[in-house]
Parts: sequence; C-alpha cells; structure tokens
Amino acid sequence: MQLEPRVYAIPEGSDGTRMAMALSTRLHCDAAAPVKLPTRWLDSFDWRLYAAGAALEEIGADTGRELVWHDLADGGASVVRQRIPEEPGFAQAMAPGPVRERLLPLLGIRRLLPLLDLDIGRRSLNVLDDEDKTVVRILIEEPRLRADNERAELPLSGRVRLLPVRGYGDALREVADLLEGELGLAAVYAPVLLEALSAAGIHPCSYSPKLDYRLDPRQRADAAAKEIHLGLLDTLSANVQGTIDNLDSEFLHDLRVATRRARSALTQIKGVFPEPVVADMKERFGWLQRVTGPVRDLDVYLLDFPVMRESLPAPLRGDLEPLRTFVLSHYDQEQRKLAAMLESPQLHSLLRDWRAFLEAPVPQAAAPINAMRPVKDVADARIGRMYRRVRREGRAITGDSPPEDLHELRKSCKKLRYLMEFFQSLYPQEEMRGLIKQTKTLLDNLGRFQDLAVQAEHLRETALAMHDEGMHEVGTMLAMGALMRDLLAGQQAARAEFAVTFERFDTRRNRATFEALFRARGGRR
Amino acid sequence: MILATYSIKGGVGKTSATVNLAYLSARAGYRTLLWDLDPQGAASFYYRIKPKVKGGSKALLRGKRSLDEAVKGTDFELLDLIPADFSYRNLDLLLAGTPKSDRGLGRLLEPLLVEYDRVFIDCPPSISRMSEDVFRLADALLVPVIPTTLSARTLDQLTEFLAERPHAARLRVLPFFSMADGDKALHTDMMLRLPERYPDMLTVPVPQSTEVERMGIHRMPLAAYAPSVDASVAYEQLWGEIMRRLQPSAGPQAQ
Repeated sequence: MQLEPRVYAIPEGSDGTRMAMALSTRLHCDAAAPVKLPTRWLDSFDWRLYAAGAALEEIGADTGRELVWHDLADGGASVVRQRIPEEPGFAQAMAPGPVRERLLPLLGIRRLLPLLDLDIGRRSLNVLDDEDKTVVRILIEEPRLRADNERAELPLSGRVRLLPVRGYGDALREVADLLEGELGLAAVYAPVLLEALSAAGIHPCSYSPKLDYRLDPRQRADAAAKEIHLGLLDTLSANVQGTIDNLDSEFLHDLRVATRRARSALTQIKGVFPEPVVADMKERFGWLQRVTGPVRDLDVYLLDFPVMRESLPAPLRGDLEPLRTFVLSHYDQEQRKLAAMLESPQLHSLLRDWRAFLEAPVPQAAAPINAMRPVKDVADARIGRMYRRVRREGRAITGDSPPEDLHELRKSCKKLRYLMEFFQSLYPQEEMRGLIKQTKTLLDNLGRFQDLAVQAEHLRETALAMHDEGMHEVGTMLAMGALMRDLLAGQQAARAEFAVTFERFDTRRNRATFEALFRARGGRR
Repeated sequence: MILATYSIKGGVGKTSATVNLAYLSARAGYRTLLWDLDPQGAASFYYRIKPKVKGGSKALLRGKRSLDEAVKGTDFELLDLIPADFSYRNLDLLLAGTPKSDRGLGRLLEPLLVEYDRVFIDCPPSISRMSEDVFRLADALLVPVIPTTLSARTLDQLTEFLAERPHAARLRVLPFFSMADGDKALHTDMMLRLPERYPDMLTVPVPQSTEVERMGIHRMPLAAYAPSVDASVAYEQLWGEIMRRLQPSAGPQAQ
C-alpha cells in the first residue's frame, strides 16, 4: 500500500533551523547540510498541466537541471523526475524520460513557460533503522517567492514534509506522532505552488480559448453581443505578445480563431450595433486576418511535415527535406513582418477602439433594430435561419455540383456553428452539444474537401517559388508531386463521403430538434 | 516495462547487474520496482532490506496477502523492492499446483504495474514454472554471459528453450557480456565470435571487477558509492544501450 506523504506547517516563532535541531535530537537520523534550491515552476500558456492536476518544477538551473513532476491532489508530492540538459521548452524536443512521457500527451505542441520562481531553503533528514537503512525522509523547507519586475521578494510559509518510504508505515507514524504531539505541529494541505500563485496574484486557468458565456435569455441583444465580443477580444489580446515572440504556434492559431469568430459575430448577430461601426470593424478584423495568414500557412506546413513525410513511400522521404529547408528559410522573414504588424499602431488602435466601444453602456434610445430585443429571440431567429440555409444548400448539392457550391455550404455551416457556440448557454446543454457535434462532423468533411485542395494548390505555388529561387532538385519536385497526388486523392475521398455525411446531419430527428429549439418568435428578421 | 535478468547458470553477475540497473533507472527519474525472486536474497541484502515476506509465498499465491504489502522502499528515492523470501524455494511447487491459465506471477504483479514505470525481476538460475511465468510476463530478458564456452552454451540452451515457447514470442532477449576479462584470450575470442550468432547482443561488456565483489561490504549499488570505477561506467553505458534498444522511437523532433 502506498503511504501518503504528510505536510506540516512550521509554527509561528519557529523556523527551519530550530525544527531540524528538534528533530535530530529526538530521532536516529542522518542530516544533510542545508541547501538553497532555486526552482522555477512551469506550465503551458493555457494551464494544461494545472488542469490535469499536475505541477512541474525545474530545479538547479545552475548545477544539474532536473524537472520534477508533482501531483497536486497528493499535497504536491513529487512523482517522477528527469534530468534535462537545457532549458525546457517543447516536450517533443526533450530526451526520452519519465517526465517527458507524462508531458507529451498533455502539452502536445504547446511550449512550457515559466509561471514563477521560488528559492527554497531546504534541510533534509533521513530517519534510519537499526541497520542504518532509511525508513522516513524529512524535508524542512522555507520557500521565498523571488523578486521580479512586478514584486519584491516574499517569504512563504515554512513546511515540514514527511516522505514515506514504502513498507515502513510504523516509522512514519512514529515521526508523525512526534511532530503532532510533542512538537505541536499542524498538518496542512498546501502544495507550495498554490500558495506561491496566490501570493503572486496569479489566477490559475485564467486563460482558455474556449467560449464559455453565461447569457441571460431576457438580456438586451446588444448587451449580450458586447459580452460575446469582449470574451473574443480578451482571447485575441491575450495572444498578441506570445505571437510576436513566437513562443509556440498555438498563440497565432488562437489569435486567428478569435479574429474569425469576431468577424462572424459582427456579421451574424445582425442589427445590434450601428452599421458604420460594424462596417469599420469588419474591415479592420479583415486586415488582421490577412496579415496573420502567411505565418499560419508556414506553421501548418511545419506541423504537418512529419505526417506528410511519413505518407510518402520510404525511398522518397529524404527527398522532401529541401521543402522543409525552404519553408524554414522564409519563416523568419514572415515572422518578422507579422511581429511588426502586431506591434503597429494599426493593431493597437483596433484593440483600443473596439474595447472602448464594447465597454461603453448600451444606448437607451435610437438603437439599431434588434438591439433592445431579448437576446434569446434574436438567437432563435438567427440560428433557425442559418440552419434552414445550411439545409437548403446541402440538399441542392448533387454528384455534379461544382466545388464552389460546397465552399458556400461550408461558409454557412461555419456561421451556424459559431452562432450555436456563442449562444449555447441559452439552450438545453445536452441537445446543444449534440447539434454542435453533428455540425462539426459535417464541417470536418467540407473542411477536408476544401483544405486538401488549398494545400495541393499551395504546394504547387511553393514548387514554383522554389524553382524561381534556384532550387531545382528533381527528387524534391517528384516527392512534392507524389504529395499532391495524395492530397487530391484525399480531397476526392472527402467529396465522395459528402452525401452520406450530409444525410446523417439532415435526419428527421435532427431537423425536429433544430426546429424545436430555434423556433423564431416575433417574426423572422 | 518489465525487465527480467536471467541466466540458467549461477554466479555470472546477474544480481549485481539487476541491483545496479534498477538503481540507474530510479536515478534517471523512473518509478522503479525490483522484485527479488532469487531465494538467496542477494538483491535484498544489497539494499539493506530483510529478506522476509510476511506469510511467505504461500500467503501470496493463495491471495491472503497481496504483493503490494511486501513492497519496501530502498535508501534511494523512486526505487522500491520486493524482498526475497526463503520460501520462494517452494514457489515452484506452489505454482505447479495452480492451473496454467492462472498466470501465477503475472496476476500477483499486475496491480503494482500502474505504480511503476520500470519493473526489474531478479530470477533464480533455473528453468522452472516460475521462470516460464517470467518469460510470459517480461518485455525483455537481460541475460549475462561470461565470455566462456560453458556460459555461451547455456545461452544456446535458453534460446532453444524459448524458441519452443509460443507465449515467449514477444520477449526480447538481450544478452550481454558479464565478468569479462580483456586479458584472457578465451574471453576476447568469445567476445568477437558470439555476437555473430547473437546479433541482439548488447555491445557494452561489464568487466570483471573486485569493486563489484565489494558491494556486499557497502550494501548499496556500486554506481551509488563509486560512480567512476570501470564497472559503474559499464553499467551506466549498458543501461543507456538497453533503453535505446527498447524505446528507439522516442527522440527529439523539431518544432
């Protein structure tokens, strides 16, 4: 049976030195010299480790770097550790080891970023049995939050941690009795990271790109729309600096998704904001979407590269390397251009103007046509109408329809999905989840059909650009040709699957749910 | 991942290898368990753990006690050990009394597998029902071979035996040279010839060393108190080679 580690607070008026003295005079133990450990705590920007109940500590950046994986549910006990040669970043880039094994499925393509730095004064005592074997480990720790630009150094509460040695439960209980009885210590649940975050004023999980609104059905539609837009603007703003610094590709991805959603919300939640504001912001968000496009395209290439490479027959794989080199050689330049755009007055004024508008009170008179209606009515009408459009367009598609018809359907489908996501909290959760999932399945099919064609076209353009820049490796061009064939074959497969996918979306049951949930009141608008 | 050290012949440096490799695994940060199945209890002795399991093997197999209760932490973080027990000598008789479908040792070990990243099993030198269970259970068999004709012959016997066991088909057999003496012509000759017949043979030999014999005085793994002596360095390189063989796919990849 695994024994639980126990944590005690060092009482007021005492400190680590006195605790160590008190314990070593009462126990047969082996004490190590006190050390000061500089530690750094890490997570991804979107708190993936914290959300999974884990905490990651990097110790000894100056001596031998080591990552320690802690379990927050278990009072912050360390589970596994791994030496690393350099500053941690991407799990993919780490050498195999127990921490990497745990990081990889959680982090994916996100980079580890520092949360905060602690200096921990630590004394360790090993309690020994009559054969001088360790039976309990005691750590006496006095952590301090390190000073940085935003705060001065701050002492955190001192702790005595009992780390059990498996199979020696009796010894653990004896030491615990000594601490709780004679020494009068109280057990606490306090992983040091949680105390440090709170002391530093950092709120865990403060960033999530997910849409999570709690709208009131009777709320004015323009006020609800402002709430939706503010959420999107927060996400967009939160990702600007990470995109400029290019910490990982998800910053740009999340920034672009928030921009796309904002554009969709502007045009799809109709008649709630003054028309000139809508027209102006549509244009400015359009600009942002355009200038962020090229780096995203290159990111997609680099992220997909291993899969593309593996999809080729083994003898052709090596020939694809110059494509990666070519993409990388253009990457820095495109990234610099992007950073300049994101640091430009144009973006600053976009974010500032838009926030000022969204935070201003809603007008009491002379509001646009839907502004003062209850949001639920507007949502019903918009979603109902978009659903009917998707259905109409989808039903009109036959085996002979041109690709443009499928592209149009995809656009409508995306609008429908975003509308349902914005207004999700106004409807029964279960049904809404089901409908959104169905819509996503249809969108995936349409997305594959279009994206594979775009990728194939992109590959052709890249081949031309490589040729223009004097890269004439025949092997590479042939390998790229083989890739194009696969992409176009995949596109054809998606086209062939469309009819069945749409049929599954357009069932009698689905239709009934849509009609029941989004029956417009007060006429169509 | 379950790694068993095994040899038909005794006195070939098997327990020393297990003790050191398990220590290196824990030092690399893996939650590691060493199951001392050899009734001589040398691995338990090296880790200062009394070689006694409450109720012995009978209580374990009859389900009165779980293996979990027998686990003891060592002096090294992340490294735990299941001590040997003299009654393991009777384990074979007891296992023989249970049906083959019972999975014997595998059933005992299973609940512990979620708690450890690596399990090392130090097997006694014999071919028996117990070792058959280990062959079924382990991902890899680490086989120490002294570079002599006799020791090489036992490797042949082992491979012939395993070839007739369909349930051992997924078992990786990784022999390595143990107690190798570069000054003996017979040893150097064997170290050249044997890998030709056994291409899976690990390339790092563990040298004959009085330091290894002194582990009994220090009662801890050689790599913990004398990390720079030849044999320690060899264990470390051997461990690196084993990990590369068993997880070749893991490696850095550019973002």
